[in-house]
Amino acid sequence: MGKVLMKGNEAIGEAAIRAGCLNYFAYPITPQSEVAEYLSRRLPEAGGVFLQGESEVAVSYMIFGAAACGERVFTTSSSPGISLMSEGISYITAAQCPAVFVNIMRGGPGLGGILPSQADYMQSVKGGGHGDYKLLVMAPASVQEAVEMMMGAFALAEKYRNPVMILGDGLIGQMMEPVEFPDSLKAEPTNKDDWATNGMATRNRKRRNLVKTLYLDPEELNSHNLMLKAKYEQMEREEVRYEAYNVDGDYRVLIVSYGTMSRVCRTAIDNLKEQGFEVGMIRPQTVFPFPKTAIYAAVDRQSCRAVLCVEMSMGQMVEDVERSVSGRRPVHWYGKCGGEVPTPEEVMEEVRKIVK
Amino acid sequence: MEINLTGIVVVVGNYGSGKTEVSINLAVHRKRAGVDVRIADLDLVNPYFRTREAKGPLSEMGIEVVLPPDQYLHADLPILSPLVAGMIRQPAELTLLDVGGDDAGATILATLEDAFKNRLIRVLQVVNPLRPFTETFEGCLKVRKEIEQAAKLAVDGIIGNANLIDETSADDIYDGYEFVNGLSEQSGLALEFITVARELLPAIDVRRFSCPVLSIERQLVPPWKKALPFEKQSPSG
Repeated sequence: MGKVLMKGNEAIGEAAIRAGCLNYFAYPITPQSEVAEYLSRRLPEAGGVFLQGESEVAVSYMIFGAAACGERVFTTSSSPGISLMSEGISYITAAQCPAVFVNIMRGGPGLGGILPSQADYMQSVKGGGHGDYKLLVMAPASVQEAVEMMMGAFALAEKYRNPVMILGDGLIGQMMEPVEFPDSLKAEPTNKDDWATNGMATRNRKRRNLVKTLYLDPEELNSHNLMLKAKYEQMEREEVRYEAYNVDGDYRVLIVSYGTMSRVCRTAIDNLKEQGFEVGMIRPQTVFPFPKTAIYAAVDRQSCRAVLCVEMSMGQMVEDVERSVSGRRPVHWYGKCGGEVPTPEEVMEEVRKIVK
Repeated sequence: MEINLTGIVVVVGNYGSGKTEVSINLAVHRKRAGVDVRIADLDLVNPYFRTREAKGPLSEMGIEVVLPPDQYLHADLPILSPLVAGMIRQPAELTLLDVGGDDAGATILATLEDAFKNRLIRVLQVVNPLRPFTETFEGCLKVRKEIEQAAKLAVDGIIGNANLIDETSADDIYDGYEFVNGLSEQSGLALEFITVARELLPAIDVRRFSCPVLSIERQLVPPWKKALPFEKQSPSG
């Protein structure tokens, strides 16, 4: 099949089906409602189930229920909706159930606005709900990358028995780009008989499986948390993904930026290059686990005098960038939030400002 | 072959078929031909990539753009400017209505039923066969039927808008033309024109088409790209 022209939201829905996920529960919210709209047509054709919950809280527990039964399942929402789901996400993580959550971020806090934003970074990578937990969080910069991350998310969720989040901004959801769906990314079904409440009759082993999040014995809860921690450490060893751009030459500034914001930075870097000003970029594709080592290594370049973190928030990822740089270079931040996306010209001006 | 549209032209189609980009460029094309043009943004269903984003360049060309009041410009609220009914009752030489996607977007037209009464209007469906749900004749005709029911207006023409944005090839244009030509034959709907991006036009043999071609100077671009500035005179082709 050749390429088709799709909106990010439609492509994310189609990618889930192509990856082999036929359960989608959601509640509509701008700017991601097209996922629900698209799947309300497509899922019945594909033999799947789309259920609209009565709220995002309800949706998160529908996801929990389906995942606990061993079903592949996902939902999509936007910022305020993800806040409502955060309790359920904490439970699902505690119960070690695989599921995929998509956040097409809009401006906040509160109802905020409906235009693109990246202000849910902290919520996504530091845990929006309670307790010690982490999500594996991937941030696409194009519609094609959203497709590939979405298709890959189910296998990762099942590998770690942990929710995976696709963190996009309103632009990823709303813009149209040509896409294709690589068959190679279809997620093979995994055996969940060891833990899922998928019915005694379907299993060889006649032992009851119990999916739970309550551990009253302090020692048992501590061990449970240590086991979860070990999984997050494994993600940090095995799942870090990033893209390096224009880092072969002697760059004077290193930009760290993710999602669609990084595409604005890329244009700024290309324009600056034409003016003889070299700027490199590390674009985290996973924001948890964060590409700490890559950033640490990139600032080591002798020519690199400073780091600039550009994000559509009031400065969230910059904390992880500072942590990665560990004081070896000054770290600056530039961003806007409210729906206005910084322009390439504004990014260029910021870069010039910091190495005057 | 020239595009000679005048009067009231309503542009409909499924989500993402390219209605807004086509409407903006059609407005500019007709303005360049000396026609007095007014365009209204009736997209009440999608908060991104709307006609209002091209207001500046259109106004500079002398095209009047009718939008919801300023304070609602960034809302996804169903607000229809009262100016719209007025512009239908007293139309410019060419009055273009850029409608939101699908039947949901076309519902707004039903509320203008009184204003449309006894007026000659054209309702054109934009078709991009490289989009989901309109890659077959059946899909296109289903969209048509749903829009007609919601709008209480009959579609009476097709605009072929085959494209993959920056990745469109000459073959996509030729295949897209064959598709909408076939759709026109099967449905009896006139094929009004097809579109080709300005930068692709030199690679296209327009003699292969039995309908006019509208050159597209893309205006609705993501923040890392620049919209092509409109030239006062029509580019060649």
